[in-house]
Amino acid sequence: MKKLVKNLIIYTVLILVSLEILVRIFYLGEDKPSRFVDEKRVEKWVPNQEGYSVTGNRNQNFIRYKINNSGFNSYQEYVSTQDGIEVALVGDSFIEGFHQPYKISIGRKVEQKLDDKIKVFEYGYSGYDMADQLHLIKAYKKDFDLIDRVYIKLKFSNDLGRGEYYVQESRLNLESPMNKLLKKSKLLIYFSEIGVVDPVKDLIKDLRDMVRGVEVKKAEKKETDSDDSMYLENFKSLVKLYGYDKKKTVLLMDETNTSKMFLDYLDENGFQHIDFGKAINNSKRKTTLVYDRHWNNYGRSIIADIIVSDMEKTGLVNSTGK
Amino acid sequence: MLFNSLEYFIFLPIMFVLYWFVFNKKVKVQNALVLVGSYYFYGLWDWRFLFLILASTFVDYFVGIMMEKNEDQRKKQKLWLWVSVVFNISLLGFFKYYNFFVDSFVDMFQLLGYQIKSTWTLQIILPVGISFYTFQTMSYSLDVYYKRIKPCHDFLSFATFVAFFPQLVAGPIERASDLLHQITNKRTFNYDQTAAGLKLILWGLFKKLVIADAIAPIVDDIFMNYETYSASTLILGVTLFSFQVYGDFSGYSDIAIGTSKMFGVELMSNFKFPNFSRNVAEYWQRWHVSLSTWFRHYIYIPLGGSRVSKLRAIRNICVIFLVSGFWHGANWTFIFWGGFHALAYIPVFLMGRNAIYKDSVVGENSFFPSLTELGQLILTFAIVTFSRIFFRSASLTDSFHFIGRIFNNFSYEHYVHPNGYRMVDYYILLAAFVLYEYRIRKDERSPFKFKSKAVRFVAYTLVIFTMLLFYDSGFDRSFIYFQF
Repeated sequence: MKKLVKNLIIYTVLILVSLEILVRIFYLGEDKPSRFVDEKRVEKWVPNQEGYSVTGNRNQNFIRYKINNSGFNSYQEYVSTQDGIEVALVGDSFIEGFHQPYKISIGRKVEQKLDDKIKVFEYGYSGYDMADQLHLIKAYKKDFDLIDRVYIKLKFSNDLGRGEYYVQESRLNLESPMNKLLKKSKLLIYFSEIGVVDPVKDLIKDLRDMVRGVEVKKAEKKETDSDDSMYLENFKSLVKLYGYDKKKTVLLMDETNTSKMFLDYLDENGFQHIDFGKAINNSKRKTTLVYDRHWNNYGRSIIADIIVSDMEKTGLVNSTGK
Repeated sequence: MLFNSLEYFIFLPIMFVLYWFVFNKKVKVQNALVLVGSYYFYGLWDWRFLFLILASTFVDYFVGIMMEKNEDQRKKQKLWLWVSVVFNISLLGFFKYYNFFVDSFVDMFQLLGYQIKSTWTLQIILPVGISFYTFQTMSYSLDVYYKRIKPCHDFLSFATFVAFFPQLVAGPIERASDLLHQITNKRTFNYDQTAAGLKLILWGLFKKLVIADAIAPIVDDIFMNYETYSASTLILGVTLFSFQVYGDFSGYSDIAIGTSKMFGVELMSNFKFPNFSRNVAEYWQRWHVSLSTWFRHYIYIPLGGSRVSKLRAIRNICVIFLVSGFWHGANWTFIFWGGFHALAYIPVFLMGRNAIYKDSVVGENSFFPSLTELGQLILTFAIVTFSRIFFRSASLTDSFHFIGRIFNNFSYEHYVHPNGYRMVDYYILLAAFVLYEYRIRKDERSPFKFKSKAVRFVAYTLVIFTMLLFYDSGFDRSFIYFQF
């Protein structure tokens, strides 16, 4: 039995070390950038980081990211000017674009479609909701005042869960010393990415709930009218707290799965909004990545077309400028 | 509890430690632990069906005792044997075949022009493993009847033999004469046996997680949407399914055999590299061996086997294959599958080639197979793979439409999975898998048989690494043979 235990330990350690080496050689585990909260209480990436974002098994989405001086993934630095045309895209991971080369991001596609006559600044960050987004715009008011048009990506049922901004500690806990230590192992990161550790996490959570006596409700939560009302109230509260420039701000939404109550409210109160749902959902070609629900190159082109078309409609750019 | 679940990877080491460190003094306590563990293992799926296992255990234990009591009265013994057979077949008949018989009855009347509105079908859940443990308990009564073993007087051991968790839900279906004596005797720890068990578990997991589960979404897509795909894609789909079902079931069997070894019990080999068979007869000596052996011992030989006239031997072959098909599932597709194999087997039998490869493997004395052997392998694989269209299709109509699309309108089309899977990864994987299995084809119980420790270590690492490369957390990971 001693021999078995000894051999099991030796083999386990050696195999783990070998796997760590293999994962590094084949670059399977992504480079996790560091996050922080800046002096204006805005959560963002630590500026000037570079690395590779990897999604799915076997390196199927292997993309270089580049965090600029403002703390967002982009090929360019954000310098707003009085005379040029600048557009901002504010949103979550779909705008952040760790799943796409930053050189062909949605913003870059928009710029190219308009012959680089405008600049598009992408303020995307995984997990941003409406509170994060409006707080960011208010915190960097000086910069945003110089921007000519702002597109905010909004998922009604996800992004209006709170009516006031506060720093999300749960996300920042990912920067704890323990997590930083764990992030040094590419193997662990890969395990986490492909879902190997999910059953372990679930088990720990179930055990914790069991010890605390919490009844676990596994049924999926259904959206109700009262939820819609709550989201709408949160939206009103955020607008009131952080301000909202109705003239130049546009909500970019999948209106096919957005509450009618909310859409009616937007129309009645002069909030501009555009829909990408029909174009994405009716596309004959696949618009998302393999093993991932984020937009692929084609999906991003559709979104860029919608934005360009909106800018042309409003006269910010003219169609002959293309 | 699934072999490839986190629960099992917690359950197994706990059982192992308790078994060898706490409950290791006497065979009775060893068996008590295994029995409790086995019932827990099964009960996690649905504890209500534990009563079926218990009922089957009680009946056959009692039948064994009664047969011994009536040792000199063969007729009475036969009567008790019938009690066992009727009870176990009734369990199977009700839980597995009841709705099939009702539906078939209704369909038959509709064919004759009568309209019957059936209200007799029931919402019956098929208890996992029922086809396996009922056959195992019946084998006990049959072995006692044929005097291959003496009846067991230790109920605890007998219940452990029936419910032994490594092989409870999907086999290998052990004959009582092979397994029971291992359960009634105390097991002692053996390093080599445990290490061999761990290696088999690793190899079984590889086959399940990588070969079966990785291919499954592609196979599902092709079979679900076969009407929209070209013939070449359908051939690809059924070929991949051949690998999927092999990886799934042989993977399960390897984990079962490996786990069993860790507890000092040897189970029979269930798969002996069936993809390297040179004719259909050899295939059946290598595929699901425990079921084939069961049928041979308890049906084929009692019917006269091949030592009767040619016509009766052919009848016996047909019976065996049709029963085997029906055992797999209450669907005409499985009966057709069995019938197809009977038709493929009979010519081999008539040519007297059904046993010629019994004791050899392809490329017995050389590294590479000869050209003739290669041709035989491809032909056998093609026949077996073709039969899987019936095995995999939801209905006979689907099977024939699937076949029709292949033969009536042959065309080649590059297959692209709707999710955009990189197909070349899977082709490379399967090619490497076939080559590796060919390398180890002489010993199905030693998948890492390399003289050099370093080579063995590299093999373990690569196998685990490949598992990580193809692991798909979003996939339902239960085993195909659980439905049987």
